[in-house]
Amino acid sequence: MTVPLVAFLVAAIVPVFFGKIRSAPLWLAAQALALGWIGIAHDAEFSGHTVTALLEVVVVRAAIAPALLRRAIRLRAEPELDLMPSNLFAWAIAIALIVLAFEFGAPAMTDRQALTLGAIGATVAVALLLLSTNNSPPAQLVAVLYMENALALFESLLPEPWPLPLHGVLSAIYLVTIGVGSWLVGAPESTPPTAEAPIAEDRA
Amino acid sequence: MSQANVVHLGKAASEPVRHGWVGPTLVAVAFVSVLLWATVFVRTPLTELPLYFAQRYFVLDATSMLFLLVVNSVFLGISVYMSSRVSTSRVLAQNMLPRAALSLALMVAMNLGVMANNLLLLWAFIELTTLCAAPLVAQGDALAPRRVAWHYLLYSSMSLALTFLGIMCLTRSAYLQGLQIGFALDEMASGIAMPGDSWQRFGLALMLFGLGSKLGLAPLYSWLPATYEAAPTSTSALLAAVQFNISIVAVFRILQVFRGRDTGFMSYELLIMGCLSLTVAAVQVMAARNYKRLIAYACVSSSGVIAIGLSVGKAAAYGVLLYVVSNAFVKALLFLTAGRLRAVYRTNEVKALNGVIRVLPFSGILFAVGTFALLGFPPFGSFMAEMLILSGIVQSGNLIAFTLMCTMLTIIFVATGRSIFPMIWGQSDRQVPPVTESWVTAVPKLGFVVVLILLGVYTPAPISQLLMQVAQSIGGP
Repeated sequence: MTVPLVAFLVAAIVPVFFGKIRSAPLWLAAQALALGWIGIAHDAEFSGHTVTALLEVVVVRAAIAPALLRRAIRLRAEPELDLMPSNLFAWAIAIALIVLAFEFGAPAMTDRQALTLGAIGATVAVALLLLSTNNSPPAQLVAVLYMENALALFESLLPEPWPLPLHGVLSAIYLVTIGVGSWLVGAPESTPPTAEAPIAEDRA
Repeated sequence: MSQANVVHLGKAASEPVRHGWVGPTLVAVAFVSVLLWATVFVRTPLTELPLYFAQRYFVLDATSMLFLLVVNSVFLGISVYMSSRVSTSRVLAQNMLPRAALSLALMVAMNLGVMANNLLLLWAFIELTTLCAAPLVAQGDALAPRRVAWHYLLYSSMSLALTFLGIMCLTRSAYLQGLQIGFALDEMASGIAMPGDSWQRFGLALMLFGLGSKLGLAPLYSWLPATYEAAPTSTSALLAAVQFNISIVAVFRILQVFRGRDTGFMSYELLIMGCLSLTVAAVQVMAARNYKRLIAYACVSSSGVIAIGLSVGKAAAYGVLLYVVSNAFVKALLFLTAGRLRAVYRTNEVKALNGVIRVLPFSGILFAVGTFALLGFPPFGSFMAEMLILSGIVQSGNLIAFTLMCTMLTIIFVATGRSIFPMIWGQSDRQVPPVTESWVTAVPKLGFVVVLILLGVYTPAPISQLLMQVAQSIGGP
């Protein structure tokens, strides 16, 4: 259980310090695969629920979502920027937030739970930090996906996994969110009507 | 209005309308929905509620009944407006099919969400309404409509993610306390520890914070004015007067579950967010020179009043409900009228519309009426509601909140009047001939005015009983 959790943590934290926006889909796919690994480690009996949840993670989170994100980044054609601006201040804040996240989960819990909670807290904190430091829509979309993955990780802390219909609904919402988000982020801005070409009675 | 514009108006009207059946179909569906829920309301005694169905995943109780009636009535008005504008708006005529489809999808999610008897299901439907609304916002005519729509989606996704994190914290709390928590709202209370631990309080705080930002409460309110200004006015009305209510229902459901428990910190959180929102709205209304943005900031202040009222509890519960219902109609009235003004003047700037009542007499009067209702003048329902909320705050002994609310509402009143009244009755610096207004476009707005007056003057007994029942359910001991 600890190894996949560490893998998830690495895939969540490393790109924030060293990754470019274009490499984000790869890191998100790595996070999703680690999530799948955590799911398998959580359920030793390898039940039908685990297999379905694993398929959902691999297909939706590790394949479709990164592909949609990659497409949006390509269509947007922005210069290759860091995921989080590389400056000492942002780095210091990020490190402090990650340490605080692990401190938050530490008391009154077993080691595994503390580590999981720390990983969730760190991923949420990093997502919020990405939002506050990067104004680029693709980076903001990455932050949303980070947040969604943190929520998926929280499930491993619950006594029972969500029922499959709920998984289905959450996956569908996740997919539509990424679909609409990548459509909004990826498409070029349309030109509004200009003063030279007036359109009276045009908006409702 | 320039001659070129008038010529263009004629041209737009003469162009063939694509998918001409869409508008009437939208109105028909909206009308059937209102008729259906009105019939259910009339034929179902309140004593027989709640009624569960679909394996108890959905419930028809007083809360869902009230909001079903409100949102479907408002949507009927919006659909009549959209349908009537197709013949005069080229852009709307071109996009009517996707807009109608998305609006209907939003309404389906709204109806199901309002009836959801499961917290996770309710969360999913709120997210779905957001996903339906984002492409509608992207059809606005702001400088970068897709960027505004993206910001709307981003804020909504993040705030709903925080809400979901809160739900998970509640689950964790129940697990640590050795309790089984189900998310069926009618049974959820049994899975909640008494007294609550720090996980439970953290979860509740996150849920309220997330839903608060969906309501446009400070500090996460900045998406609201930008979205309401940039979206097409029918979409702004849909967001402010319809979608807003599903987040309100979610807050009500949480209050119903936690009623009678240790909810002191929830009251403080609502009070702080409410006071902050009122203060922010007062400052921004003073600076606003754009009538759509002004209405949007008024929406932030309304959310603030609702949050303060909810923080008081039982004493102000009826007032809060009356305020929520009135606000749905006020916002729809103002945004739809603003759409008419925008269509003729092609600007959102207040100054350009000076003396609008002489050009668009009917819309000018309706905008004035809507503004008075928004500011809480008698005889509208919002006046009665504000008085009841203020009286509740006094009864609860929170004189600081009372003073702050009175001060901020006075500032908002003066600042709104200073901008809007010259716009309606002022002297125009250019000669614009009066514009003929279609009665079909005006019908829904007139209906909203009638409802607003009825809410303030005479609320029929069945509606009053329904309001009382919901007020009791959210008011607590």
